[in-house]
Amino acid sequence: MKPIVQFDRTWHDTFLKHIQDDGPWANSELFSLAYLAEKERVIPTFHGLIAPGRLPQLKLHPHQVETARIVIEEMHGKAILADEVGLGKTIEAGLIIKEYMIRGLAKKVLILVPASLVLQWVSELNTKFYIPAVAQRKSYVWSQYDVVVSSIDTAKREPHCSIVKEQDYDLIIIDEAHKLKNQNTKNYQFVQALKKKFCLLLTATPIQNRLNEIFYLCSLLKPGYLGSAESFAKNFKSGLRSVKNEEKLKALVNQVMVRNRREDTGLRWPKRIIKSFDIPFSHAENIFYDSLTELRESGIVQPFSLLTLQREACSSREAAFVTLNKIYRSSASPATERIWHQIFEKLNAISQNAKAEKTLELIQQINDKVIIFTEYRATQLYLQWFLKKNGISSVPFSGGFRRNKKDWMRMLFQNKVQVLVATEAGGEGINLQFASHLINYDLPWNPMRIEQRIGRIHRLGQENDVHIYNLATQGTVESHILNLLYNKIHLFEQVIGELDKILAHIDLKDVDKQVQRIFEESESEGELKIKLDNLSSVINFEQNSLREDADHAASGNP
Amino acid sequence: MQQAEIHDFLVRFFTSSDCTLMPVQSTFQVKVKLNKSMDKMLMNRPFYWHYIEQIGAEPETATLTFRLSDKIDDGEFIHFGSPRLHQIFNAAEKMGQFIRLYQILPPQSAPALEPWLGLNLKISYQCDLKKDEIRSVGLQLINGTLIEGFQTMLKKLQLNQKMPDYCYTLSPLIKIQSGIQRIERFIESELEAEPTEWADQANERWAKDQQLLDAFYENQEQKPERYIQEKKALEEQYQPTINVKLINAGIFYLQSSTFLPGLIKGH
Repeated sequence: MKPIVQFDRTWHDTFLKHIQDDGPWANSELFSLAYLAEKERVIPTFHGLIAPGRLPQLKLHPHQVETARIVIEEMHGKAILADEVGLGKTIEAGLIIKEYMIRGLAKKVLILVPASLVLQWVSELNTKFYIPAVAQRKSYVWSQYDVVVSSIDTAKREPHCSIVKEQDYDLIIIDEAHKLKNQNTKNYQFVQALKKKFCLLLTATPIQNRLNEIFYLCSLLKPGYLGSAESFAKNFKSGLRSVKNEEKLKALVNQVMVRNRREDTGLRWPKRIIKSFDIPFSHAENIFYDSLTELRESGIVQPFSLLTLQREACSSREAAFVTLNKIYRSSASPATERIWHQIFEKLNAISQNAKAEKTLELIQQINDKVIIFTEYRATQLYLQWFLKKNGISSVPFSGGFRRNKKDWMRMLFQNKVQVLVATEAGGEGINLQFASHLINYDLPWNPMRIEQRIGRIHRLGQENDVHIYNLATQGTVESHILNLLYNKIHLFEQVIGELDKILAHIDLKDVDKQVQRIFEESESEGELKIKLDNLSSVINFEQNSLREDADHAASGNP
Repeated sequence: MQQAEIHDFLVRFFTSSDCTLMPVQSTFQVKVKLNKSMDKMLMNRPFYWHYIEQIGAEPETATLTFRLSDKIDDGEFIHFGSPRLHQIFNAAEKMGQFIRLYQILPPQSAPALEPWLGLNLKISYQCDLKKDEIRSVGLQLINGTLIEGFQTMLKKLQLNQKMPDYCYTLSPLIKIQSGIQRIERFIESELEAEPTEWADQANERWAKDQQLLDAFYENQEQKPERYIQEKKALEEQYQPTINVKLINAGIFYLQSSTFLPGLIKGH
C-alpha cells in the first residue's frame, strides 16, 4: 500500500487575499530567515536521535542514548524500561519524549507517576529537557496542556477520569508500572482504557520471574503480544508459579523490554565502604532495656509489642517512651502500677545515649555531609536536639513532608548544614548523591529498605566512594539483625537491584515479617540463632544460584 | 546549527524586524530592545499590554540579552535546543510567510518582468518514525516553466519590494490558484515515483501488530470497544503518510533570461 499524501491547503485563501489586497507583504530578509529557520529544523533521516544535540547541557550516558534509540527504532515506541535502580530511567524517558516531540510524532503526552514524584518529574522535564510539562492541578489542565504529569490516583477519579479517557494521547508514560500487575485493579483498567499511540512502562523491578505480571504488563503495552490469557497459560505456565518454554518467553519479553544492568553500563560505580559498630549500652540504658522483659512476664504486653519496645529502646529512650506511654495510658491498672513506675524511673535515669554519642563522634571525624537514617520520629527529634547541643546544625527529612518542603530541606542540606536526619519514609524519591556518608542509626528489618536508603546516595552522579556506617547495640535484637544482614547475607556489599531479584524469586517479600516471627516464636537465644541462620542460608542459596544463572547467560550459552 | 550561525540569525532577525540592537561587551552576546509588536510576540504578557493600551500609557518594551557561550554569565543562554530560539524561529516564519518582490535590473536591460509563483514546502514522511525534506519550487505564470531549488536561485538575484521605475510587469496567463495546483501535482508525481521501502516496512510492522491484536480478541464474537480503540491507535502509529506543508510563498517578478537552461525543468 502506497503512503497517503496529504497537502495542507489552509494557507491558500490567505495567500490569495494578500494578492488581492496587494499586501501586507513580508520583507525579503524575514522571508529568507523563515526559510532558514525551517531548513535548520528539518530532520534528515528516520534513524538516530536528534534530541541529544539539542540538550548540550545535559550529560547523557551512552546506555541512556542507546536505550532511547532502541525504544524508538526497534520497539516502535512501546516498551518496558526496566533498568536497575539508579541508572536514570527518568532521563531515558525524558529523552524519548523529547525525541518524539522534536520529530513531531508526539504532542499530547501523559505521564502518570506516584503522587510524591509529580513535581520532581515536572521540574526535571522543564529544566533538563525544556519540555513544557505541567503538574495536573485543575481539571481543565487535561485538555488545555500538551504535556501533563499526574498521579494515577488523581487521574482515575472523577471528574478527571472521563476527561482523561477522552484525550487522544500520542505518548503515555507510567512510572512504577510494576504496580499495575493485576488486571482486576481499578488502576489497571483505567490505564488500559486510555487512548495511546506510544507507551513506556517504567519499572525498577525485574519482572522475569512473575508470570502474570509479565503477561499483564505486556498486554497493556501490546494486547496479544504474549497471546490471549488462555494461550499464554497454555504456552508458558506450568502449575501455579513455574514457567515452561522459559527461553522462548525471555526472548519475547526482551523484544519489548530494555533492562540495563549496572555491570553492563561500563560506568565506574563508586565503591561501598561499610563499617559496622557493635556499641555497648551505657549502664542506665542497659538496665532499662532489660527491665522491658518484665512487661511481658507480667502479661502487660504481647511478645510483638515487647519486640517493638526493644527495638525502640535500642534507638533512643525518646522513641521507647512514645510507645510505653501509649501502652501505659490504655492498660494501666493499680495492679501493674508498681511495675510501670519502676520502668519509667529507669527510663528517666538514662542520661546518655551511647549510639548518639558514637554518631556525634563519627560526624566529627567525617567532617563532610552526613545523612542519618532512623526509623523513629522521636529519635529524629532527639538527634537534632543532641547534635545542636554539640554545635552541629541539621535539617529533618520525612516522607510526610510536602514536595516543596522536601526540596527546601534538600537545598539546605546541600548548601548550608552538615547533617540531614531522615526517617524511614524519607527514603523514597529523593536524590542525595552530593553526599557520600550515610549512618544507619538503627536498622530496619526489611533489607529492601536498607537498599532504598543506600540508593539515595549510591546512584548515577555519585562521584565519591560511598561510606556506610551501621550502628547496632551490643547484645540486643539489633545486633542479631546486623549479624543477619551484614555477616550472613552480605547485604551491604550487594549490587543494587540484586536483592530485590533474590527476594522476588524466593517469594520472601516480607522478610521483616519473617524476622519478626522468628524473634517472637523463639524461646531461647540458641533457637533464635538457628532460625536466623536458616533464613540466611535460604537467601544465600538463592543468591548463588542466581549468580550462576547470570554467569551462564553471560557466557553466551544457548 | 552552530553558535556563530545562531548569533548571525539573531542579529539578522532583530535588525530586519525593526528592533534595536544594543552595544555588548562580548562577541558572544546579543542585546536587543524589542519594539512593541515583537514584545507582544515574544514576551507573553497580554495583561501588561491590555493595561497599557487601556490607560493609554507609554509602554516600556523589554530588553533581552542573549549569550551564546556558557563561559560568560550575563544573559539568557541560547542554543539550538533552547525554547527561546524556537520561539524566534516561529516568529520569523510567521512574519516571513508571504512576499512579493521585483528583480532589480542592470541598466539597458529589457524592461519587462515575468511573474513567478514560488513555494517553499516542507515534506514530512511519517509512520512510527519521521523525516523531512524541503522542496522549493518556482512556476513561471505565463509559459508554465517549473524549476526546483527556486529559493537558492533567488538568493543570487537582487530583489526589491518596490517595482523599479523603468520596468513593467507582464500579466500572468496562469491564475495563482491553478499555479498552486500545478506545483502540487508536480510534487505529488515526484512523491509517487519515490521508493516506498520505508512505507512498506511500516505496513509490515502494522500488519504484525494487528495480527497480535486480532489473536488477543479471537474468541470474542462481538469485539469490545477496546479492540476498536487499539486498532485505531495502530493505524495512527504506523499508517505511512506524507504531509506537505507550506513554509512560505511569494510572487516574484523576474527578468525572462534569469534562469540558465540547464536548471530549468521542462513541463
